[in-house]
Amino acid sequence: MMDAGRHPNIELLTLSEVTRVDGGAGDFLITVRRHPRGVFEDLCTGCGDCAQACPVVVPNEFDLGLGARKAIYSPFSQAVPNVYVIDCQNCLNGDFIVCENCSRQCERDAIDYDMTPEDVVLQVGSIIVATGLDVFDPYLMKTYGYSLSPNILTGLEFERLLNASGPTKGHVIRPTDGKIPKKIAFVQCVGARGENDCLYCSRFCCMNSVKDAMLAKDHEPDVEEITIFYSDIRASGKGYEELYNRSRQFPYIKYFRGKPSKIIEEPGTRDLILYVEDTLTGKPERIRADLVVLASAGRPPGGTERLAKVLGIKLNSDGYFQNRGEDGQFLSSTREGIYLCGCARGPEDIPDSVAQGTGAAAEAGKHLAEDRLPEVEEEIPQISTDGPPRIGVFLCHCGINIAGVLDIDHLQEYAKNIPHVVHVQDDLFLCSDGGQKEIQKMIVEKGLNRVVAAACTPRTHEPIFRESCARVGFNPYLFEMVNVRDQCSWVHSLEPDFANQKAHDLLRMACARAQWLQPLRVKKIGMQPETLVIGGGMAGIQSTLDLKAQGFTVHLVEKEKGLGGRLRDLHRLYPEGRLARELLQEKLGQLKASGVNVLTKTEVTDVKGYVGNFEVITTKGTFKVGSIILAAGADVYRPQREYGYGKMSNVLTNLELEGILARQESEIKIKGQGVKRVAFIQCVGSRDPEKNPACSRFCCPTTVKQAIALREKGVDVAVFYRDMRMVGHGAEEMYQKVRGMGVLFIRVPDAEKPKILGKKLAQGVEAFDSMLGEKVEVEVDAVVLAAGMVPREPDMTRLQEMLKVPRSPDRFFMERHPKLGPVETTTEGIFLAGCIQGPKDLADTMAQAAAAAGKATTLVCKETIALEPTVCEVDEMLCRGCGKCVAICQFNAPELVERSPGIFVSKINEALCKGCGTCAAWCPTEAISAKHFTDRQITSMIESLFQEVA
Amino acid sequence: MAQKKIKKNGFHPKIVAFACNWCSYAGADNAGVNRIQYSPHFRVIRTMCSGRVKPGFILKAFQLGADGVLVSGCHFGDCHYIFGNERAVELFEKTKKMIRLLGLEEKRLRLEWISAAEGTRWGQIIDEFVDEVTQLGPSPLVSEKTK
Repeated sequence: MMDAGRHPNIELLTLSEVTRVDGGAGDFLITVRRHPRGVFEDLCTGCGDCAQACPVVVPNEFDLGLGARKAIYSPFSQAVPNVYVIDCQNCLNGDFIVCENCSRQCERDAIDYDMTPEDVVLQVGSIIVATGLDVFDPYLMKTYGYSLSPNILTGLEFERLLNASGPTKGHVIRPTDGKIPKKIAFVQCVGARGENDCLYCSRFCCMNSVKDAMLAKDHEPDVEEITIFYSDIRASGKGYEELYNRSRQFPYIKYFRGKPSKIIEEPGTRDLILYVEDTLTGKPERIRADLVVLASAGRPPGGTERLAKVLGIKLNSDGYFQNRGEDGQFLSSTREGIYLCGCARGPEDIPDSVAQGTGAAAEAGKHLAEDRLPEVEEEIPQISTDGPPRIGVFLCHCGINIAGVLDIDHLQEYAKNIPHVVHVQDDLFLCSDGGQKEIQKMIVEKGLNRVVAAACTPRTHEPIFRESCARVGFNPYLFEMVNVRDQCSWVHSLEPDFANQKAHDLLRMACARAQWLQPLRVKKIGMQPETLVIGGGMAGIQSTLDLKAQGFTVHLVEKEKGLGGRLRDLHRLYPEGRLARELLQEKLGQLKASGVNVLTKTEVTDVKGYVGNFEVITTKGTFKVGSIILAAGADVYRPQREYGYGKMSNVLTNLELEGILARQESEIKIKGQGVKRVAFIQCVGSRDPEKNPACSRFCCPTTVKQAIALREKGVDVAVFYRDMRMVGHGAEEMYQKVRGMGVLFIRVPDAEKPKILGKKLAQGVEAFDSMLGEKVEVEVDAVVLAAGMVPREPDMTRLQEMLKVPRSPDRFFMERHPKLGPVETTTEGIFLAGCIQGPKDLADTMAQAAAAAGKATTLVCKETIALEPTVCEVDEMLCRGCGKCVAICQFNAPELVERSPGIFVSKINEALCKGCGTCAAWCPTEAISAKHFTDRQITSMIESLFQEVA
Repeated sequence: MAQKKIKKNGFHPKIVAFACNWCSYAGADNAGVNRIQYSPHFRVIRTMCSGRVKPGFILKAFQLGADGVLVSGCHFGDCHYIFGNERAVELFEKTKKMIRLLGLEEKRLRLEWISAAEGTRWGQIIDEFVDEVTQLGPSPLVSEKTK
């Protein structure tokens, strides 16, 4: 959020609504209504004095009413922009009562009660809808008793209790008596999967409950038992199944298959009684819990319909925005130039939402290619900062936020006695224009070569001060900040003597550090404006098209002789039912028209260089590119003689059945034999603790899709499953459809796999039906194994060796961060698209491919990239070439180079180094220094702390 | 919030807290934004990553008179530099052995994971640690020096 708030090319319009859209893709004219905030954004410093003065206390929406706020408030503690807002409904001034407590408190006169709504008109090329979702209000469902007992919470309310900055400071307590609950019950699928007119599965709730169950015990060790009531645990996402398995190892977490039919509160104890049938034993039970958490499903947020009307786009049957999945455009709305991402399309989990957000940005970029702004930069003559340190100290009052606790006059006197300090000055608001100008003036007037500001936190304000310093040619890395507000006056206001002592110490330490600061310069390296895409499947094609549409040069390299990858083997795509072949033809046509350099039957043999300047050697020549997208796909697991595969000719995989379905539209024949009865066996080669613990995610919907196709041809179908994990839009609806088509679903226990009967041919499947509690036998003509996905070898190993991209425990390539960087790798400039990162269906693959293109765009659109100078550096005189730094660096920045025969030293690539300084901590000869956080700079702080000023 | 208990004997420990820029330092800021009141008897030194905190810094602090040292980083899986915090653990364990050799109580050195949203936890941990070090009394290295 902070990054977005601070980005020079992003204008944040909060408290605003789009009221009108004119024009079309590439040239929209949108009218935005800005609702009155009551506080001037440019004046408010977020100090919070106004809220302290406000006499009105109302329930806090962010804490879902579990906490309180004032009528002038900051929506939540990390809100961006960090500006307060007046709640006109509750502010007393609106009712002709003159309160004005807050405006009297506000030292910056930032409050204006008479603000009125304002319309602004913006000219934009494209629009991205990212309106998110609301949570279903179980108040509407009598069954769960949510309206009757305060001890029944929704999943979101429970999250607030778990949050350390939430209303209970992270304590899980029962709302009625404040006691720690001994028994907690989680109820899944509340208002989803057929309940309350909602067909779909909300996708995120299973994992949320699994996580919350584990966290609840972490937060409150006194919790004794947590029961999760479920129908299927849908842990399908990278690493999810592994987390679910971990949760099952805790004795205090119980999974109970069944959905409560009634929850009532026991009078007196206020405990909750859940009436529920255990669907695995068929026994009705009465279970007591102290606290119930309803895993409430997602719903389209209020105002979605109105927004759809304003934007002129359609909604789907679930009430979310409709995408154009049938055209393979999963992030496009029904109107050209308007894109969708995250939960605006329907419920999603965080990694998918983030990937879609990046993808939508890439799609939106298509309409802006011509209007891309050139980078402008002005040269400012640098002023000399050589010679002995001349420190200027600037003290901020921050209104009364600092000055109310700290004695600024005394601090000022104190600062004058700190070694090397030549100038001390204070200001009411140092971050104001006036304050910044004073600093600039003093740098020049007093010949300062170090600036120390004692104010708020460097995390928000250091960039502002640095920029002001740089404006007068003062090297911004000679600026140092002391946090005497967030980490001193605000948190020790009840002990002002100690707070003052602390401020003295912190200031002294900062000045000690300041004298050792070194001027650093931002280096620029050239950027090759081209991208290489490795792999010509759908992911690679989509990334290529998205980059090309934005006007960038792309090279697409495919090992095989044809493009299309896995899509060539598929018949129809769920849920739209479109022919895969048609979609592929369409995409190939687009690719051809775009004139991209496509190299088939080509392999990448080596990659050298780093971000902006990769040199890629292929069997058909060498390319210089700025970024690389890995879209080399994955393999479908080949069963190893499991279930008679390979031995019995009528045992085949999902993928093989796809081929048969594609060829035989009318009647299904396998090896020339007509087939009337088919059994599917799920989780073959996945969810297997020994071979592959991960869930492959796409196989359940695939089976259901194929079951529908077979049923339509009159074939009897039985599915042996563990959990039906219908993730993806339209998947759950497909499942409900197939259940109405007479398909037999047989749930088998995790540990007891079904057995194939028959010698040469599979004639039947025998399994333990955990719902009936007995063995069942189904006669079959063919068996289909839902085989999961595995990393493609040896391609993956080769790529890994070449690119040094790490792999996850599941052996797929590892993303930089599952939520913050789902398509990035730890190596800058290398991105992941599609199944190379983990099993995915087509919709997720395409969204991720667009995201990878989006990330590559942020690099290749620049002519140069600026390298942050706060990186690590090796003193070759001290380095003995032990290679410790090479071993521990996650970013492949250090490398051993041979300086003279047999003598190796480490060399750190500035373009790859992130400046964490871990290598500097490990270097046995102290040859590595982490710039701006050198040993000298840090130890000088420690020394000065224990050295009082005379 | 009520005034935190201050030890009657007048001893206030000197504690150095190393906080990583992305999580723990931000967590400490978050404590400020929420006006959480906690013990002032510590001084923060910001580093980019907890992995940057080398044994030398911690030993230097003890040598010069620190009564306790806290190293704080991101939770596992949240590190801005992927595994910097896991490296920090390795160095931390080594440092712990070293301070034992110096005759210091292990409890004087502490490692914690605090996220950017956990202001309350930051305050709690500082309070806990200050209390613990106060119970232990002045560092034996300091009393030797003053003898």
